[in-house]
Amino acid sequence: MIRTIKENQDSWQSGMAKNITFIVTKDCQLACKYCYLVGKNVKERMPWEVAKTFIDYVLDHENDPDFAYESVVWDFIGGEPFLEIELIDKICDYIKTELYRRNHHWFNSYRFSFSTNGINYHEKAVQDFIKKNRDHLSIGITIDGTEKKHDLNRVWKQPVADDNGLTKPSERGSYKDVVKNIPLWLEQFPGGGTKVTISSADIPYITESVLHLYRLGIHEVNINVVFEDVWQEGDDLKFEDQLIQLADEIIDGGYYQDYACSFFSEHIGKPMDPERDNQNWCGAGKMLSVDAAGNLYPCTRFAQYSLRDKDAWIIGNIRNGIDKNKLRPFLTLDRTTQSPQKCIECEVASGCAWCQGENYDAAQTHTVFERATAICLMHKARVRANNYYWNKLYRKLELEDLREQYEANKREVKPEIC
Amino acid sequence: MLQYLVILLDDTSVAYCHADNPLKGRNLIPLETLKKGILFGMKQNLMIQYVFPNYELPKEYAEVIESIDNVKIYPVGCKPVTGIEDGNDADVEAANEVPEKEEAKNLVLRLTFTEMLKQKDAIAKLFASGARVNLCITDVEQFSDEQMEAYKQVLKEWNATLLDLYKQGQSPQFNLLTDRMMLEKMHNCEAGVSNITLAPNGKFYLCPAFYYDEQTKVDNQLNHHQPTSDNSVGDLEKGLDIPNLQLLKLDHAPLCRNCDAYQCRRCIWLNRKLTWDLNTPSRQQCVMAHIERNASRDLLNDIHKVGEFMPEIDIKEISYLDPFEVRKEF
Repeated sequence: MIRTIKENQDSWQSGMAKNITFIVTKDCQLACKYCYLVGKNVKERMPWEVAKTFIDYVLDHENDPDFAYESVVWDFIGGEPFLEIELIDKICDYIKTELYRRNHHWFNSYRFSFSTNGINYHEKAVQDFIKKNRDHLSIGITIDGTEKKHDLNRVWKQPVADDNGLTKPSERGSYKDVVKNIPLWLEQFPGGGTKVTISSADIPYITESVLHLYRLGIHEVNINVVFEDVWQEGDDLKFEDQLIQLADEIIDGGYYQDYACSFFSEHIGKPMDPERDNQNWCGAGKMLSVDAAGNLYPCTRFAQYSLRDKDAWIIGNIRNGIDKNKLRPFLTLDRTTQSPQKCIECEVASGCAWCQGENYDAAQTHTVFERATAICLMHKARVRANNYYWNKLYRKLELEDLREQYEANKREVKPEIC
Repeated sequence: MLQYLVILLDDTSVAYCHADNPLKGRNLIPLETLKKGILFGMKQNLMIQYVFPNYELPKEYAEVIESIDNVKIYPVGCKPVTGIEDGNDADVEAANEVPEKEEAKNLVLRLTFTEMLKQKDAIAKLFASGARVNLCITDVEQFSDEQMEAYKQVLKEWNATLLDLYKQGQSPQFNLLTDRMMLEKMHNCEAGVSNITLAPNGKFYLCPAFYYDEQTKVDNQLNHHQPTSDNSVGDLEKGLDIPNLQLLKLDHAPLCRNCDAYQCRRCIWLNRKLTWDLNTPSRQQCVMAHIERNASRDLLNDIHKVGEFMPEIDIKEISYLDPFEVRKEF
C-alpha cells in the first residue's frame, strides 16, 4: 500500500513554498454549474514545449527574489488535470531531472499537487504516475456530498462543444463516477481531504452531505461558499440553520473527535485590528501560473477562462519573463486598503475570506483593490453557527470532564488560504 | 477635495505632463460646452485652468474664457487668443524642447530621458532666468536600472548650478531638485482628487491622458480583448461620477502613503499604464522620484553649509530607491 503523506502535508501547507501552477488543459469531463471557470474549452491544451520552456525559466531564476522559497509546490489544474496525465508525467520527470542536474535547492523539497474530479483516478496511467511519484504527491478529489447534492451541480458536460470550443452542462450527474474511486484514493491518501463548494441551491443539503462524506471515510471536509454574487434573500438564515443542524450532528454523534469540517473554527468571528491584522488573505502574486499559450498569471483566477467581465491580467510570458511592475499591486495589497469601511469596522471580521480574482472580476474599475462582499451575510451566519458549535461542544466536554484532553488532541483545520 | 478644473480647449491642446498628446486633428470645444464647463467650475468653486492648442482661437472664445478668473497653459511662445490680456503669473508655457530665449514665468519642459541628458547644459542655463522650471520626462516607462547612475550624475551637475545661484542670493525653482526641500508632505498630481479634466466632448476625465487613451483606443495595447473602455468619469449633464475614488487618494496607495519622496508626481496614468492599478506606482516612477529626493537632500545639505537657508528642514538619509523593496517595513 502506498504510505500516507499526510504527515508531510501539514508542514507543507504552513511552510514557505512557492506555488507554481500549470494550467495543462482548459477542458474537463464535467461542466459544474457553480464552476468559476466560465471559459472552459477543448482547444487550449498545453504543448510540451511551453511546459519545458516555463520550467527552464523558473529554474533559471533560482536566485531571483520571486523564487527564493525553501520549497516549491508544482500544482496542476485544468479543467481536469488528469486528462493530460501523459504530459504531466513528462513534466514531472523533467522537473526532477533538472532539479538534480542543476543541484537546485528545491531538489527533494518539492511536491506535485492535484485537485481532481476523480473520474479517471483509477486509470492505469494515473495510477502509474501516483506510484512513481508517491513521496512527493498531494491529491485531493472533489466530491460534494450526497448523490443528490453532488449531482445538483457536478454534472457531465455535453458531448459536443460549441463552435468556440466552449463546453456546456448536461443533465447527467457525476456522483457514481467519482464515488467509486474514493476507496482507492483513501487507501493511498488516508488523510486526504475534500473540497466542497456551496452555492445557493446547495444550502439545504449541507448537513447530510458532510455526514455522508464522513461516512465515506473522508476525515477532513473543507467547505467554502462561492464568492460570486449568487446569494438570494434569506439564504443566510437557511445556511445558519443547516450549520446548526450540522453542529448538533457532529457533537451529538461524536464526530468532532476524529473528523473536521472547516466551517467550524475557533479563530473566526472576531474583530480585526486595522494595523496588526492587515495582511492580505490571498496569495495571488506570490503564486505563478502558466497556461497553454505560455502566458503567466499571478494566479489562475486571472486567466481569461476564469473571468466573466474583465480581461486577463497577464504578468508576462515564458519567453520574456515576468513584468515585475504587473506584480506590484498584488504584492502591496493589504486587508484594509481593499476593504470597504463596513469590513474594517466589522465585529466578526476574522475568517471572512475573499478571492483576489473575484474581487478583480467584480470590481467597478480595473483594480485588485476593491473587495467583493457578496458573502457578507453568509459569513455572519457562519459565525453565529460557529459560536453555537463551540459553546455547545465545550459545555459537553466540561460536563464530561474531557475538555483538557480534547484541547490537547484536537484536530485543527486551517482556513483554506490560496 | 476638488480645487481645479482643467479644460482642454481643443483635441490638439498642448501636452504639459508625462503623456504626449497623440491627437492631431483640430476639434475645438463647442462654445456652449465651454460655457457649461465654466458654469460647473463656478458652482463647484473650482479654479479654471485652460489648456490651449497651438493655433489662435476664434475671437468669440476670448470673452467666454475671460468670464472667470483662470490660469492658462499654452505652447511656449504662442499667444493663446487675440483679445485676451496678458496672463497672470501662474500661467504655464509648455515646450517639447529647450527654448532658446526664456521669457516664461512657469515653464514645463517635456523631454525624453535621452534628450534631457543631451540638453543638460541648456537646461541648467534656465535656472538663472527666474522662471520656475518643471522638467517632465516623457518616457518614464523606458527608464531602466542601468540609467540610474546617469540620472544621479545629471542631477548632481544641476545641483552645482543651483547651489551657485543660492550663493548669489537667488532662489531658483526647479521641480526635480528644489520642490522637495520646501515640502513637508506629499504634493503630487492628485488627478481626480484635487483636479479634474473636461474634454472637448463635454465629458470629464481623470486627466488629459485618459482622454487621449480613450480617443486612440490605447486599451488594445494592454492585451485586452474587450472593446476599448470609456475612460470618462462623468459629463456636464450628469456631473462627476468617479468609481473607486478612494483608490486615487494617498491613504489608499500602500507604497506611497509612507513615502517621503514628496515631490513625486505620483502619476496615476503611468500607474495604470505600467502596473495596471491606479494606486500602485511602477518601479521606474519610484526609483526616479527617489533619485531626485536624494539629490534634493544633497543640495539642501550643501546649502546649509553656506548659509541660513531653511535650517529647520532636514531630509533624512535612506537606504533604498524603491520603497517596494522595503514595503514590509512600512
